Amino acid sequence: MSDVIGLPAATLARLKAELRAASWFAALGEPLTGGDRTDAAAYAGALGLGGLTIDLAKDWPEAERLLKSSDWSSHLWDREEALRRDLLQRAEAHYPERALWTALTELTTEAGDLVHGKAATAASRMGNAAKASIHVAAGAASQAVYQLAVARLAGDAASPFESKFRLFAAGRWPLGVVGSRVILF
Amino acid sequence: MTESITVKTVEELKDAPEEYREAVAKLVISHAINELYGAQVFDEPAIAYAPTPYAKWLTCRVAMEEYGHHVRFRQLGVQMGIPEERMVPGTGKKPLSIFEFPLKTWEEFVAIKLLADLAEILQVEDLLHCTFHPLRNLARATMPEERFHAQFGEDFTAELVKTPQGKETLQAAVNEYFPYLPSFFGGSKSRNNEIFRKWNIKQRTNDEMRADFMTRATEVASKYGLTLPEVRQAA
Repeated sequence: MSDVIGLPAATLARLKAELRAASWFAALGEPLTGGDRTDAAAYAGALGLGGLTIDLAKDWPEAERLLKSSDWSSHLWDREEALRRDLLQRAEAHYPERALWTALTELTTEAGDLVHGKAATAASRMGNAAKASIHVAAGAASQAVYQLAVARLAGDAASPFESKFRLFAAGRWPLGVVGSRVILF
Repeated sequence: MTESITVKTVEELKDAPEEYREAVAKLVISHAINELYGAQVFDEPAIAYAPTPYAKWLTCRVAMEEYGHHVRFRQLGVQMGIPEERMVPGTGKKPLSIFEFPLKTWEEFVAIKLLADLAEILQVEDLLHCTFHPLRNLARATMPEERFHAQFGEDFTAELVKTPQGKETLQAAVNEYFPYLPSFFGGSKSRNNEIFRKWNIKQRTNDEMRADFMTRATEVASKYGLTLPEVRQAA
C-alpha cells in the first residue's frame, strides 16, 4: 500500500484486519439467528426503515430473483448513498483529497479480490448460482467495505455501515428491502 | 523491422535502450490515466442509472475493477520510476476522446460496455506477448476482468432488446456512441505504434486493430439485432 501521509494508519490497519477476519458469504441461506435479526434491524432502523420484517433468501436463485424484483425499494439505497456522500465530505475536510482517494481505492481493490474469491467459493459450495451473481456479491461486499472505510475516516463510529458490515462479517449478504421486508441471504 | 529484446523485470528495464524504456512508460501512463478516467466518467456514475440492485452491484463491481486496473498500472509505473502525477488525469497526458461522451442513461452505459470494452479487450490482447514481462503479466491479470465487463454489456443488451422500446433506445445509444470508437486505436501512421512493434511491445498496427474491432463489433451488435452506424474509420 502506498504511503498515505496524514491518514490514520491505525484506523486503516484495524479495518484491513477486520476485512481479513470476516466470514464473507460463509452463512448464505442458513437459518437466521437472533444476532442476525438484531444487526439487520439496527442497520435498517439507522437508515430510517425500522419496523420491517427480517426475512431470509434461502438460495442463490431466490437471491437473484429478489435482486431483480420490481418490488425492491430504492429508499435504502438512496439513504445509504446520501449518507455516504455526507461522510465522504466530512472525511475530505480532514485529510488530503489525493491521499484519501488513494487509500480508499487501494483498500477496495484489495478487498475486492478477497471478497470475490469468497463469493466464488460460496457459490461453488451451494450450487445454482448464475455466473454473474458472484460478481454481484463481490460488488455488494466491496461497496460495504468502501462505505465502512469512509464512515470510519469521517470519525463516525456508529454509522449504519457498521451494522451492515457486521452482517457481512457474520457470513450474510444483506440484499436490501423488497416490499415490507429486509432480506438477508 | 523488429529488435530482439526481453525485459523480465522492472529492475532489468534500466538496462534497456532509452527508446524502449520511453515506449513502455507511455503505455503504462496511458493505461493508468484511461482506466481511472473511464471509471470516473462512466462506470461509477452508471451505478445511479442501474435499474435494480442486481444491476447496481454488478456495476459497482465493474467500477471497482476499473479503479483496480488504474491502481495496478500506477503501481507498476511507480516501480518503473514514473512520477505519480503523470499517471492521473489533469496533469499531462489527456484522457482518450472516447470519454468525452456525456453519459446520461443506463442504455448508453450498456452500449459503452458492449462496444468500448470490446475495444479495450483488443488493446489488452495486443499486450499479451509484450516483451516487457511486468506489462505482459498485468495485461494477463486484467484480461478476465475486461472480458467480464464486455460480457456485462452483452448480458444487459440481451435484457434490453427483449422489448421493442428497449431495443430502440439501445440502438439510439449505439448510434450516438459508436462514432467515438474508431479513433480509440490511434492514427494510421502512428510513430508510437511503429516503435511499439519494433520492440515487440505490441504486435499489430493501429489499422489492423481497428479493422478487427469493426469486424467483432459488427458481429456482437448483429447477435442482438443491432446495427452499427457508418463512421469514418481512418484516424
